[in-house]
Amino acid sequence: MATRARAAGMACAALAVLWAIAPVEIGAQVRMTVPPQSQPVALTGATIHTVTSGVIENGTILLENGLITAIGTDVDIPAGARVVNAAGKHIYPGLIDAFSTVGIAEIGAVDVSNDVNELGDFNPNVRADVAVNAESRHIGTTRSAGVLTTLTTPGGGLVSGMSSAMALEGWSWEEMSMQSAAALNVNWPNPNPRRFRGFGGFRFGPQEEQPSYEEQVQQLKDFFAEARAYRDAVAAGEEVRSDSRYLAMIPVIDGAIPVVVAADDAAQINDAITWAQEEGVRIVIRGGQDAIHVADRLVAEDIPVILTSTMAAPGRQYEGYDGAYSMPARLHEAGVRFAISGGSGSLYSNRLPFEAGVAVAFGLPEEEALKAVTINPAQFLGLDDRIGSLEPGKQATFLITTGTPLDMTSDIEQAYIQGRELDMNDIQKHFFEKYMEKVRQHMRRVIS
Amino acid sequence: MRAILCTMALAVALATGAEAQQASRTQPVEGMRDNGTGYHALVGARVVTGPGQVLNDATIVIRDGLIQSVGRGTDAPAGARVWDLDGLTVYPGFIDAHADLEMDAVPEGGDVGPTHWNPQVRAWFSTTANLQDDEDRRAALRSQGFGTALVVPKEGLFRGTASVVNLGDEGVRDRVLRPDVAQAIGFQRSFELGGSYPNSAMGTIALMKQTLMDAEWYMRAWDAYEASGRAFLPPETSEALAALGDVVQGNQPVIFETGGEEEYLRAHRLATEFGLTPWFRGNGQEYRLIDLLSGRSDPLIVPLDFPDAPDVGYPGAALNASLADLRHWYLAPASPGQLADAGVRFAITTDGLSSLNEFLPNLRIAVARGLDVDDALAALTTTPASWLGIDRTHGTIAEGKVANLIVSEGDLFTEEAEVRDVWVRGTVYGITRPAQFDPRGSWEIASEDEWGFDALLVLEGPLNRLRGHLDIASTGPELPGGARVELASARAVAETGRIDARFNGEVLGYQGMALLSGSVRGDEFYGWTSLPNGADPSFRGTRTEGFEGPARGTVAMDVPEIDLPFIRPMMDYGRSSMPEQPAAVVVRNATVWTQGPQGLLEGADLLVRAGVVEAVGMDLDAPGGAVEIDATGKHVTPGLIDPHIHSGVSAVNESGFAIVPEVRMGDVVTHNNIWMYRQVAGGLTTAHIKHGSANPIGGENVFVKMRWGSLPEDLKLENAPRTVKFALGENPKRRQGRYPDTRMGTQEIIRDHFMAARDYEREWQQWEESGEGLPPRRDLRMEAILDILGQELLISSHGYRADEFLALVRLAEEFGFRVQTLQHGVEAYKIAPELAASGVAAVVWSDWGAFKMEAYDATLYNARILIEAGVVTSLHSDNSEIASRMNWEAGKLLRTGLTPQQALSTVTIGSAQAMAIDDRVGSLEAGKDGDFVIWSGDPLSQFTRAEQTWIDGRRYFSLEEDAVMRDRIAEERTQLIQAILSAEGSGGGRNAQTESN
Repeated sequence: MATRARAAGMACAALAVLWAIAPVEIGAQVRMTVPPQSQPVALTGATIHTVTSGVIENGTILLENGLITAIGTDVDIPAGARVVNAAGKHIYPGLIDAFSTVGIAEIGAVDVSNDVNELGDFNPNVRADVAVNAESRHIGTTRSAGVLTTLTTPGGGLVSGMSSAMALEGWSWEEMSMQSAAALNVNWPNPNPRRFRGFGGFRFGPQEEQPSYEEQVQQLKDFFAEARAYRDAVAAGEEVRSDSRYLAMIPVIDGAIPVVVAADDAAQINDAITWAQEEGVRIVIRGGQDAIHVADRLVAEDIPVILTSTMAAPGRQYEGYDGAYSMPARLHEAGVRFAISGGSGSLYSNRLPFEAGVAVAFGLPEEEALKAVTINPAQFLGLDDRIGSLEPGKQATFLITTGTPLDMTSDIEQAYIQGRELDMNDIQKHFFEKYMEKVRQHMRRVIS
Repeated sequence: MRAILCTMALAVALATGAEAQQASRTQPVEGMRDNGTGYHALVGARVVTGPGQVLNDATIVIRDGLIQSVGRGTDAPAGARVWDLDGLTVYPGFIDAHADLEMDAVPEGGDVGPTHWNPQVRAWFSTTANLQDDEDRRAALRSQGFGTALVVPKEGLFRGTASVVNLGDEGVRDRVLRPDVAQAIGFQRSFELGGSYPNSAMGTIALMKQTLMDAEWYMRAWDAYEASGRAFLPPETSEALAALGDVVQGNQPVIFETGGEEEYLRAHRLATEFGLTPWFRGNGQEYRLIDLLSGRSDPLIVPLDFPDAPDVGYPGAALNASLADLRHWYLAPASPGQLADAGVRFAITTDGLSSLNEFLPNLRIAVARGLDVDDALAALTTTPASWLGIDRTHGTIAEGKVANLIVSEGDLFTEEAEVRDVWVRGTVYGITRPAQFDPRGSWEIASEDEWGFDALLVLEGPLNRLRGHLDIASTGPELPGGARVELASARAVAETGRIDARFNGEVLGYQGMALLSGSVRGDEFYGWTSLPNGADPSFRGTRTEGFEGPARGTVAMDVPEIDLPFIRPMMDYGRSSMPEQPAAVVVRNATVWTQGPQGLLEGADLLVRAGVVEAVGMDLDAPGGAVEIDATGKHVTPGLIDPHIHSGVSAVNESGFAIVPEVRMGDVVTHNNIWMYRQVAGGLTTAHIKHGSANPIGGENVFVKMRWGSLPEDLKLENAPRTVKFALGENPKRRQGRYPDTRMGTQEIIRDHFMAARDYEREWQQWEESGEGLPPRRDLRMEAILDILGQELLISSHGYRADEFLALVRLAEEFGFRVQTLQHGVEAYKIAPELAASGVAAVVWSDWGAFKMEAYDATLYNARILIEAGVVTSLHSDNSEIASRMNWEAGKLLRTGLTPQQALSTVTIGSAQAMAIDDRVGSLEAGKDGDFVIWSGDPLSQFTRAEQTWIDGRRYFSLEEDAVMRDRIAEERTQLIQAILSAEGSGGGRNAQTESN
């Protein structure tokens, strides 16, 4: 086989080494989970994209016990550290998908493989992390694309439940979970059912009579009011019967957990903001197709937006073909704070980098696109003390690449999560190796 | 036989007055006979004898159902009953050329008898044979001025024959004017008739073609049987095929009911292909085809069911209104006027209106929006009369014609005129009664009762839209006074000389509405009230002043004149003209990815002449006058190709049968497809629109070029290879109750049909050699399968798993041919060496997978492995949206180790080779189509976008033109939304409104 590969070099070489030891089918486990970092590691000579403190040329990044302990051009490398020459490479923070179902959805049309939508309209107590399958095939492919943290998010109902921040390395969900209750998810009702989009929103079968928009908004208000009364009763020392759902709401009402509200239409976004202000909760808009029509208010109220479909067709016929592509650039110009998420749901968190990259093609400065998939979602969801940029004290969760991870012209060569140097194999590379072997065997037969 | 019937029917009609003559009556009279004279003189009217022909103060004499004379003057012959029509207008009775009398309901349990295997084929249904006493429907049509109609059956696809009937109240034997004059065909099947096939637009057309061919065969087969001396068993008996004999010989017209501009185009193609005599029931979208229609003379019958305004009532709703919907609202009522201006002859029908009462109001809207009154009258009289073959007897008011008349108070076309009477065959039908008094003016009214008050009552406006107010002068002891209140409603009851009104009682200090009635006798008023406090004081009064003004409202255009240029398609981003093809175009100093033997050239030029690539190279000489494009810093690639999309057609799946290669996507291409604009904006220039995956053997696919702005036929790639959809795996076995249910069955049903086609071929050969026995019929399904076996119709098979693909490849080899492409091919990589050896091309996704069980083993490396194994490989989208960014799909493959040119080949030359269209497209080589894209940078980069897209040397997309169009769309949307809001504000929203002056 003539390898014309530019990129395949790395993956193939790594595999060749592995297979020299075990040259047989490796079964379901195509990527190995590695142990926590035990030895300091220094990566030297790289272009380090810190996101928050600029770009460091020919820099060194030092990791110890899973954390970044030093970063710069003049770093003291402790004795006993493993030194990795990363000259010519780029180092970026691991990307964060603020809206994902990695780990809780496996095969789209196979219902039993999916654990996204719980029954009922109000499920604030459900948490995604406990259902994350650490062996999911999508974990490997998502990491290979540079996405190292997902906000794994339940759907359905008016209040879907809690997103969990998951580091995509570990033997079990418990080891992976960074923040079990990272955000409460609310699906804002749809005033205009004709135009509904997005996953997690189809709350009613087509046969069922749907309550009106106004009725649903009132249901939401009533639920929050009841939860607030429950909290107050508990605080006043009243003897109340336990209620899982209202108990889960207490940190939300206290402002400790942000509320991510799925809202696309201008009317939805406006109404959701009004509601959140009345409730006094921290709101993040998710979806935001019409966010540009509400930009002034989003800026004035300092409300961040998680865009879910930048790599998408416009929602309306008259809108420009690039309406979604150029949305981030227009929001940036208007001064709105935003993150970009995968939005395609479960199976395609690996496309997150391109969702951000397309915004660059249509006018968003590249560094802003990078922030939209690193520090911005980390800030919106209270994870910026740990991830989202390369700074001492943060987790050593980053990528070694040949260029920007937002463009397919560069390759993601290696990733670290919390200081663990990942096995970069995944199911897709596994099939590549296996069936390239078939091609090779066949060609040998033809030649001989 | 048919001709004799017609004459007889006519003869009966001509001789009939109110009742048949004694000597020609077949039905005995029960009880006493009823013999009016049937002799009438209509005196003093303004008579519109025909379009543009008016006689003032004329007299019409009717005798025994016919017009004996019409002329100026008011002399009535002695003995005639005199009808004083002074001040009224008489028009010829209207003719509805496509009336629905709701008479062909499907019988319980379905049709019986040797009809047709497909229940949607009801060609045998005769509206004459099934004429019913449809009194309400006829009365409703008469009330709108109609005396004659072509009654058209509405159930099924082939619906049966339409007949010309009187709309009088005679018995059914006296109503038929011309029986069974045309076969009705529609594209919407009737659910009540049942049957599973066809359930798609293309299946419908396939069934129509097969049925027309069968009708031709049916005649030959019976002839051959009789000619043989009945030497073998006869062919089947089919009432439906027998009924279509006249149609396929061109002796009987076919009326196509069309639901939109595309169905019109499809019907026209079908009629042309089969040499039919077509009439078309239009659809309100004629304004979109004015250019085409102005050159055609086939009978065209248009409805007046104008669209409601899109909801723009609040900002969120207005945000969602498309230009397509807004334009349709504005332009549909102008469509009849545009047709007339373009010289197109057409008739107008009531068909399609949700209520027949909308007919005259909508007719007036059409007139207010530009339809000339004479053209309107012609469309309701002389034009349909000539098409229906009744122009000698109907359509104008002239001596010897049948006495079908409309008597109207006011101008029917420009005023809110009332139809007083309608005459049908000399019998008069009263529709409305005239106002027998005029209550308008100022009335001083007073009451002496408790709670009574003195007031000035003012009534004004047209009689049919009476309005007015009360000036309260003084009141009872406890009530305030000196105020004015508008009447909330007021009407004059024509027959009784009474007015009824109501007003808000607040003016008198009450909460609630007050009622006021009054009888008017000359200038005297006797009134009574019902007040919110329960009191009912009486009033007397006198008229102190009369009211001068027209008796009825006129109709005027109530929407602003908006200059909406003709665009195609008639929607957002539609083009006002097709892009020009310069004699030569040269793109200078670009990075040119030829995807051909020249490879990638930096700083190179591309020369396209007359739409065809002439050369790629350095410093090319361009002919004088060539369009020069400086592409310094830009990249140029061949136009992108997507071998698998489903946008741009009106339907995707014909799932009625498991095997349907006779259906053709090419029959249902639509140009009203916003995706095409988005796709061309993303650099796509050629696409293969595929049938869906519901069938082991699906329909025939179609290649299109993204010539945005063209009509469907002009989108098709000329001389393209024919391909057919196959589908394996989960989808074709998923349809309940239909074989197959397993991958095993899928393989077997395909094999069985391959063998059936061989049998069919052999039977044809035997008959052609011997000429003996029943002539075989042409079977479109079998012929398509024979084309598959002969590699004329190339297989492009949907599937996911390696096993199912391998099974199909081997099955084809068993029958001695080759599968052209596997599509989706999520597991194609698992059989890459086998595909290479069998010469099967693979059309796959970049990174799509895991969305269903059979897609779980997807890998981004699929294309890489296939290319390494030597398989011709292409990407595809199977998705309208992804098709608009195929360069990025290809870019993803860079991460699998493919070279950039290999990656780009999967959306250019590789795609062209896979689909066998590489002689035309896929690379920038001399002689190939001038399809290219100018990119802002590396076409495989996520940071790059298309700046210009050229097809056939014409620029179909550029960022500059796109920006201009966006501005124009924004301006048009704003104007149209404002027009709706102002029309709604004044109670309209229907494009024209009554002025109450």
